[in-house]
Amino acid sequence: MPTESFETGRPFIAGPGVPDESGGLPEGWEAPRERWLSTVVRPAFGPRSVLLEVVARLLIPAILVLSVFLLVSGHDRPGGGFAGGLVASMAYVLRYIAGGRQELIAGLPLRPNALLSLGMLIGCTAAGLPLLFGSPVLDTAKWELVLPVFGDVKVLSALFFEVGVYLIVVGLVLSVVAALGARMEAEEEEARTEQEQRIARQARRTAQRSDAVRAAESQDTPQPPPMNPGGETR
Amino acid sequence: MLLPFIFALHAIVAVVVPSLVRVMGSRAFLVASVPLAFSAIWVLTQAPGIVGGRPVVASVPWVPALGITFDFRIDALSLAMVLLVSGVGAVIFCYSAAYFHAGERALARLAGILVLFAGAMLGVVTTDNLFALYVFWELTSVSSFLLVAHSDHKENARRAATQALVTTAGFGLLMLIGFILLGQIGGTYRISELVANPPVDSPWLPLALILILGGAFAKSAQAPLHYWLPGAMVAPTPVSGYLHAAAMVKGGVYLIARLAPGFADVDPWRAMVLAFGLATMIIGAWRALRQDDLKLLLAYGTVSQLGFLTLLAGVGTHTAAVAAIAMLLAHGFFKSTLFLTVGVVDHQAGTRSISRLTGLGRRMPVLAVAAGLAAASMAGLPPLLGFVGKEAALEAFVPGHEAALSTPVAAVMLTGIVLASVLTFAYSARFVWGAFADKQTVSGFPFPKPSRPFIAAPVLLSATGLLLGVLPFAVDPIAQSYASPYSGSGYDYHLELWHGFTPALGLSVLLTAAGVALFWQRRTVTKVQNSMPSWPEAEVGYHLFIHGIYSTALQVTRRTQSGSLPVYLGIILATMLALPGVRLLSALVSGDVALPDNDTGLRLWDNPLEIVVALVILVTAVATVREHRRFPALIIISALGFGIAGLFVLHGAPDLALTLVLVETLTTIILVFVLRRLPANFGTRPNGWAKRLTVLLCAAAGSFIAVSLWVMSAARTSAPISEEFALYADEAGGHNLVNIILADFRALDTFGETIVLATAAVAVASLVLLNRRDRVVDETDDNDDIAVNETEADAAVLDGAAPNSVAFADSPADHPRKEG
Repeated sequence: MPTESFETGRPFIAGPGVPDESGGLPEGWEAPRERWLSTVVRPAFGPRSVLLEVVARLLIPAILVLSVFLLVSGHDRPGGGFAGGLVASMAYVLRYIAGGRQELIAGLPLRPNALLSLGMLIGCTAAGLPLLFGSPVLDTAKWELVLPVFGDVKVLSALFFEVGVYLIVVGLVLSVVAALGARMEAEEEEARTEQEQRIARQARRTAQRSDAVRAAESQDTPQPPPMNPGGETR
Repeated sequence: MLLPFIFALHAIVAVVVPSLVRVMGSRAFLVASVPLAFSAIWVLTQAPGIVGGRPVVASVPWVPALGITFDFRIDALSLAMVLLVSGVGAVIFCYSAAYFHAGERALARLAGILVLFAGAMLGVVTTDNLFALYVFWELTSVSSFLLVAHSDHKENARRAATQALVTTAGFGLLMLIGFILLGQIGGTYRISELVANPPVDSPWLPLALILILGGAFAKSAQAPLHYWLPGAMVAPTPVSGYLHAAAMVKGGVYLIARLAPGFADVDPWRAMVLAFGLATMIIGAWRALRQDDLKLLLAYGTVSQLGFLTLLAGVGTHTAAVAAIAMLLAHGFFKSTLFLTVGVVDHQAGTRSISRLTGLGRRMPVLAVAAGLAAASMAGLPPLLGFVGKEAALEAFVPGHEAALSTPVAAVMLTGIVLASVLTFAYSARFVWGAFADKQTVSGFPFPKPSRPFIAAPVLLSATGLLLGVLPFAVDPIAQSYASPYSGSGYDYHLELWHGFTPALGLSVLLTAAGVALFWQRRTVTKVQNSMPSWPEAEVGYHLFIHGIYSTALQVTRRTQSGSLPVYLGIILATMLALPGVRLLSALVSGDVALPDNDTGLRLWDNPLEIVVALVILVTAVATVREHRRFPALIIISALGFGIAGLFVLHGAPDLALTLVLVETLTTIILVFVLRRLPANFGTRPNGWAKRLTVLLCAAAGSFIAVSLWVMSAARTSAPISEEFALYADEAGGHNLVNIILADFRALDTFGETIVLATAAVAVASLVLLNRRDRVVDETDDNDDIAVNETEADAAVLDGAAPNSVAFADSPADHPRKEG
C-alpha cells in the first residue's frame, strides 16, 4: 500500500522499482558511499543503459586521475587548475547521467558549497601567504625535491593557487548540475508523487464517506449489531 | 587634545552598550550617558577660554590627498551646541534608564544607535571642515532614521522614518553640492576661513547658499518641509526629546548660525531666512494650537520654535545673534523638559491625549511645577531663560535698532514674531492645562505614581532653564562671543532680565495679555480653526514627488525591459554596430587605419587540414540556423564549437583547445538538462521583415567582428609584452606559457575570475532556493485545501452516527507530515 511510508514518517520515494523500507533508497547527503551504481539506478534521462553504467564505472576513476594529472602537470604541459576542474566535474556529470540524482548525491565528497568555500579559502591563502614573508601578493616560490619513488620533483607554490581554482570550478559545475539537473528532476518527481498521493487520498476519503453512510444506515435498522461501539456511546 | 578621544569613547560605548543592555537591561543607558556627560563637562572646563576668543582646535588627517581633514574647532556657538547635544543628552539618557522596560523590543539596538547619534551630532557641531560636516550630518540622518523606525514592526513607524530620511538626506545631497560650490569658489573647505573671508564676488555664491539653506531648512523642519517632524513623533519619547528638541533639528539652525556671520549680507540669504523662518514660526504655532495629542502639540511647537531660531540665527545682526544663542539654549532646556514630561505622563497614565487626561497636577505636583516652569519659559514669562531670549529677539527687530534691516522689513518681522508669540503663549498654556488640569468633562482614572529618579530628569532640565533665566550673565558671555563679528554697528545688547521700560517689554506685556485672552477663549479659537478652510498639507508634495519617481521608474522599466531575449540581443548588437561599427567603417573609408599588407595579411591556409575544419564550421553554422528543433540545434551548435577547438589545435594552442572542448561539452550537457523543460521545437520564428532584419543584423555583426579582428591584428603600434613572457617563463618555473600567465604573471586576474565563478555558483544556489520557496508557498496552499477537506470529512463523519475509527486515525497521521 503506497500510504504506509507516511505513517512511519520516512521520506516517501515514489516511482517504479522503489523497494519498501527494508532496503529503501537513502535520502540526503550523508548517504553511504558503497552504493556505487548498484542495483537501484534511475538515470537522469530515458531508460537504464547497462552499457553506459559499465562505461561510467570503468571510466570515472580514470577521469578523476586524469584531472589530477592535468592539475599538477599544467605548468609544463597543457592543463592547469581550470581544465583539471572541468575534467573532474565531468566525471560527476557522467555519474549523474548514468545513475540519476541519488547517485550524484552519494558520490559527492562534499557539498558543492563546501567545495566552493574550500577552494576560495585555498586560493585566498595562496594569494595572501607571500605577504607574510615580505613578498608581493601571489608571488610564486619554487622547491626542488628528491622523492624516493618520483625522483626529482619540482613544486611550485602556484600549484596551491591552482588547487583553489580546481575546487572552485568543480563546485561551480556541481552547483549548476544540482540546480538545473537534480533539483528539476526532484521537483518533477515530487509533483508526480503528490499527484499520486492526492488521488489515493481522494479515493480513500470517498471510501470512508460511503462507509460512514453505510454505518448510519445500519443504525437506522431496528436491530443494531451488538458489538457496534457507536451504538454504545449514544 | 581630548576631542578625538571623546569621539573614540562614543564609538566604543556605541559598540559595547548593546551587549550591556542584554546583561543589565535599561540601566545600561546610565553607562551610555558617560561619554556625553564627559564631553559636556570637558567643554565646560574649556568654556572660559572659548568665550574669551580662543577656540579649541584639533585636527586629524583623513584623506590628505583630497585635502579632507577632520578639523575640529569649538567656538562659542559650538560650545552652546555641545552643551545641548551632550549635556541635555546625558540627562535624557539617564531618564531613558527609567523610561524603558528591560523587555522593550530591540532596546539594545536603540541604545547603541542613540550613542552613535550623539557622537555624530557632536561631530556636526564641532567640525570645521565642510566635508566632515556633511558626513556627520548624514550620519545623524541615518541614525535618526533607525531611531524613528524603532518600532519596525509598525508600518507607520517605517513610513515616518523613510519620509524623514528621504527629506533630510535628499536635501542633504543638494547641500553637498552647495558645499562643493562654496569650497571651490572660496578656495578652502575650512568653515572658519570661509566665514572670515567669504567669496562674495563670485556669481556662484547665491546658488551655493540657496542649496546649503535648502539642506538646513529640511533638517530644521522649515515650512514647507516641516511635515516629517510631526510624523517622526512615532519614535519613543526620549528619542523624540533628544533628536527633535535638543539635538538633531538644531543642526540646520546651527549651520545657518555658523555661516550667517559671513554670508548674511549676500542676497538672497536674509530674504530666504526671514521669509521661511517667519512662515514656519506662524504655521507651526497655529497648528500646535489645535493638537489633541500632547506630543504632536510639542512637535508643532518645535516646528514653530525652529522657524523662530532660523530667522534669529540667519538675519545677521548683533542683537539677533545674542537672542539666537539665548533662544537656542532656552529651547533646548524647556522643550526637552516638556518632551520628558509627556514621556512620564504617557508612561504612567497610558495616554497623552488632552481629552482623556485629568487631575494629573494633583497626582504629580513636582512634575507639574517643572513642566509649568518649562512652559512658562516657552511662553516667554519672566524670570526664565525663554523670557530673556524673547526680549532680545523682540529688541532685535524693533525698527531702527539695526542698520542691516530696513524699517518696513523690521516692522513686518516684529509683527509676525509678536503674532506667533501670542500663539506660542496660547499653546504653552494649553499644554499645561491639557496635561495637568482638572477637567470636569473628563473622568479620571487611577495610575501608578512615577518614581523619583524618573521625574528627576525633567525637573533638572527645567531648573536649569530657571537658573539661567535668573542668572543671565552665565549665558551672556557665550552670546557676546558669538555675536562679536557683528559688533561694529555700535548697538550693544546684553542679556538681562530687566532692561528698563523698553518697547520690547511693552510688547512682552501685550503679547502675554493677548495670549491669556486667546487661552481664555480657547473654545472660540477651536471654532475658528475648525471653520477655516483646510489648506493643502505640505506632505502632499512629498507624496507627489515619491509617486512621480515611482511612476517614472516604472515607465522606464516597462519600456526597456520587454522580457524578450531576441530583442535584448538585437539591442546589444545594434549598439555594437552603431558605435564601434560606424567608427570602423568611417575609419576604413577615410583610410585612418592601416590595412594589413600582403605579408602579414590574408592567407588561404597555413595547413590544408584547416579547409576541412572550416567546412565543418560552415556547415554546422548554416545547419544551426536552419534547424527547427531545439535538441538537434543544440547538438549542431556544439559541433561548431568543437570545430573551432580544432582550429586552435591546428594553430598550436592545445591549452585553448582543451579548455574549449571541456567547456563546450559541459555547456551542452547543462543545456540538455534545461531543454527538458522547454518545448521540442522553436515556437515562433520571425517571418517577413522581422526575418530580414534579423538576418541583416546578424550578418552585419558577424562581418564587423571579422573585419575588426583582421584590422586589429595589423594595428599594433608597440611591441607585445608577451615577447617578454617567454624570457621570464623559466624564472617562473614552467614551460607552458599559457598556464604561467594564468597562474603567475596575471594571477591577480585569475584570482578575480575565480571570485566571479564562485559568485555565479552562489547565484545558482540562490536560484535553487528561490524555487524551494515557491514550493513552500504551494504546500501551504495545499495544506489549507486539505484542512478544509478534512474538516469537511470530519463533519461528514460526525453527522453520520458512528465515529469512524479509520478517519480519526488517519487525520493526525496526515497533519505532521504535511506541516513538517
